[in-house]
Amino acid sequence: MKRKDFLKHLGMITGGGVVTLTVGGIPIKAFANSFLNINSTNGNVLVLIQLKGGNDGLNTIIPFEDSVYFTKRPTLAISKDTVVKLNNLTGLHPSLQPLKSIFDDGKMTIVQNIGYENQNRSHFRSTDIWLSASDANQFLYDGWAGRYLAKAFPNYPALPPAHPMAVQLGSVQSLVLESQYGGMGITFQDPNNFYQLVSGINADNDPSPNTLAGEELKFLKEVAALSIQYASVIKEKADASQNKVTYPNTNLGTQLAIIADLISGGLQTPVYLATLDGFDTHANQVTSHANLMKTLADAIKAFQDDLQLLGVADKVVTMTFSEFGRRLTENGSFGTDHGAAAPMLFFGNRVIGGFYGSNPSLTDLDSSGDVKFKYDFRQIYSTVLINHLGMSKEQVAQVLLKDFQTLPIIKINPTSVNDNNLIPSDYNLEQNYPNPFNPSTTISYYLAESGFVSIKVFDSIGREIKLLVNNYQTAGKHSVQFYANGLSSGTYIYSIEAGNFKTSRKMLLIK
Amino acid sequence: MEKSVYLNKIAVWDKAAAHHILSRTLFGFTQQDVAFALSKSLDDFIDNFLLGNKPEPQSPTYQSVEWVNSPNNNDTRTNYSNWFRTLIYWWYDLMLNQGMTFREKVTIFLHNHFVSEYNVVQVPQFMFHQNKLFRQYAFGNFKEITKKVTIDPAMLIYLNGNVSTKTKPNENYARELLELFTIGIGNYTENDIKEAARALTGWRINNDTRQSYFDSTRFDSTNKTFLGQTGNFGYQEIVDIIFQQPKTAEFLCRKLYKEFIHYETNNDYVLQLANVMRTNNYEMKPVLSTLLKSQFFHSEDVRGAKIKSPIEITFSAFRQFNLVPDETLYSYVRTFLSMIQQDLFNPPDVRGWEGQRKWISSNTYPTRNNFTDSIINGKRFDRNTTIKKVDVIPFTRSFSSSENAVQFIEDISKFLIQFPLSTTKKNSLLQTMLDGTAISNWSTYDPLAEGRLKNFYKYLMRLPEFQLL
Repeated sequence: MKRKDFLKHLGMITGGGVVTLTVGGIPIKAFANSFLNINSTNGNVLVLIQLKGGNDGLNTIIPFEDSVYFTKRPTLAISKDTVVKLNNLTGLHPSLQPLKSIFDDGKMTIVQNIGYENQNRSHFRSTDIWLSASDANQFLYDGWAGRYLAKAFPNYPALPPAHPMAVQLGSVQSLVLESQYGGMGITFQDPNNFYQLVSGINADNDPSPNTLAGEELKFLKEVAALSIQYASVIKEKADASQNKVTYPNTNLGTQLAIIADLISGGLQTPVYLATLDGFDTHANQVTSHANLMKTLADAIKAFQDDLQLLGVADKVVTMTFSEFGRRLTENGSFGTDHGAAAPMLFFGNRVIGGFYGSNPSLTDLDSSGDVKFKYDFRQIYSTVLINHLGMSKEQVAQVLLKDFQTLPIIKINPTSVNDNNLIPSDYNLEQNYPNPFNPSTTISYYLAESGFVSIKVFDSIGREIKLLVNNYQTAGKHSVQFYANGLSSGTYIYSIEAGNFKTSRKMLLIK
Repeated sequence: MEKSVYLNKIAVWDKAAAHHILSRTLFGFTQQDVAFALSKSLDDFIDNFLLGNKPEPQSPTYQSVEWVNSPNNNDTRTNYSNWFRTLIYWWYDLMLNQGMTFREKVTIFLHNHFVSEYNVVQVPQFMFHQNKLFRQYAFGNFKEITKKVTIDPAMLIYLNGNVSTKTKPNENYARELLELFTIGIGNYTENDIKEAARALTGWRINNDTRQSYFDSTRFDSTNKTFLGQTGNFGYQEIVDIIFQQPKTAEFLCRKLYKEFIHYETNNDYVLQLANVMRTNNYEMKPVLSTLLKSQFFHSEDVRGAKIKSPIEITFSAFRQFNLVPDETLYSYVRTFLSMIQQDLFNPPDVRGWEGQRKWISSNTYPTRNNFTDSIINGKRFDRNTTIKKVDVIPFTRSFSSSENAVQFIEDISKFLIQFPLSTTKKNSLLQTMLDGTAISNWSTYDPLAEGRLKNFYKYLMRLPEFQLL
């Protein structure tokens, strides 16, 4: 749909005149010259491949000289002669053979023993921990990539960029792309299909009532507005290029093919998310895991080859992650149960290549008998944000809520985003700390300019229960304490209003 | 609202209350349904109809032959794709034609709670019998159904109970039983999981009789220490101990709240409802009865705040528009439901469908709009083939206000949309329906009326308000 058709659509609903789309309660100006492409990113692209279910790290990156590996896995251990050896201690699962040439070319890094303190073995909780970059006992409601994008595009949602900030191949929005402004990404399965799909949506600009139902309505309208906004640029970029290799005919192969096409077609999106499911191998693991390894390797090999031929390989780093590894000892069903630390794989011209970290100790294990972690997974996020996507250390500490030391796995980016180019200090409402909390918590916020500020607290039904701040404050960082005396446990919402900056977050009181 | 009145019964049983209850308990309601509901007292309607006893439905058949009691072997396996399809359509039928009962929605709730996926189980007979179990216990005892599900064949396959033995106990079911099915994270330790896993060993499936059975040679008959108690526990004792914990009722009531009231919970209400559940020894009927009659449930804020699930948006559209599906339409529905992420008998993982905002993405939302268009157009949106469609003129004339444009907009919007529409929105609906003609000239007998009404209904169903109930 062309820009003028899009505006005509809006005109049909309102009878002509100026139309205001809103996202997050903040108006978007729907005219061409307002779709400024404020490029707060350095042009590099991060491709995330989520391995859902808990990938068995020990059978992916194999310590083939460790006798304990063989004793604890009498039927599952990969035999030494079938392992694809990378050095004299470690090798790949045989189905990962296609990755060997990438490794030999120095374009693959394997980082060992990644996890976190107090490993949680629930799929859902551990996935949330990985996606939100929280501590094990902390609850965050947005994703690390969503928070990164909110910082990289500080004028969103008032002035959304011309290209989507993130693209997810699939159907259900992932937490990893959520921010306080809602989902930062566009989700679809196929660019052309998506374009056809979206061309019938009607946008509307009625304000939503201040009720729970009104909140859900606002959410629906936001999804519609973003879809309309980006469908045509996605199609345009998809059509501008085509893949130069034949990808395997698998779901992951198709996802990566679309990503390569969009990147080479000129889509400026910095973050992509692809998914491969099926890693929860509790029973009869040998065949199912081998198939998954093959799917992964074939798709990644095609992707890396394609990026090279399309001339965009220098700006893309691909990384795999999973919510946990699996237990060292196999179970009675020829499978493995949920474990702890595991390796992560990185691909691209910008990676340093080789191994970081050594094979896990299979004798010095955690209290459940699983592999101990050496590196917190957030060090990985810190590394890709700083060394690949060009964020400053200070901003990354805000995105990840703490300082995490980077690891030397990506070549230092000489073209980091210069802070001076960003719109000077943004407004921000931080997640309260601690969360969950009892009986009090600290709410921090940043004001870009001096002005009148109000901060209110609401209960989960939307009733205002406290006016925390209601005065003139100077630009910069501020904090306020919220005491929950006499309140019952549950979800509460705190909101800020400072000039045109209006947003809110959730917090959890557990007595 | 003061929390002391949360569970109090509503004082007034009126059209608004009936719309709300019917939209949340049925898959769409008709004008007759509303009239029927209001002809009874609130107590009578809820306790004797919505939560009343109903005979079990007849089992699905394939080419008029019953298959649900067939053994599971290499011969019968050749039919599974066909049998599974009839299972799905059979359940679609029940959702559409069940009558005045809450049973099917509670059955889906249980399917989404005690999750098993056909993709893993791969035997339609097992899925049928599990579904039958859910229907039997929809208004029954939650502790009892938890015990039955623990040794149900589909569940034994799905979470590996059928390969769990004393030498190598499999923790999968033990973990999900505690984390997802009963008490929730934070109320047990990893050790409790290991001990429970030992107590659950020994179960196997007989593929000829389709029954699960206990093999004592594979059972760990030593003592287990579980949630602070020690003994040679089997599956029944494990469930008993779990249900002795006060947190269990709280966890279960939180799930009921999330499904039937709002996706973000009010803790005080949950705790009060949990008291009702415990006092009634985990019987579902008194809990559901209290919930449906409660002032909190009927509060302004709860109405219209639920995002329709794929099944709700599909079947309530059929029911409300009086569109009786045939097999071609069912086949289309199955494809469509899969596209918007609710494949019956195949939740995405053991946590089930999360619901609410997860149903809506830049991909699924426009697809829903395409579907609602298609049942007016009479053409699938994904292929260019014909399907049964809504008969817009008779449907419109079923409203006494059909010839009075302004009143009709009032009536139809209250009937089809549970969210209170603004005056601007209603005006916009009116203008769309009139399509340029004057209000006084509006008539369903006008030759242009059919075209106008088709456009109008498509437009109405494309409103974001239509996604809510």
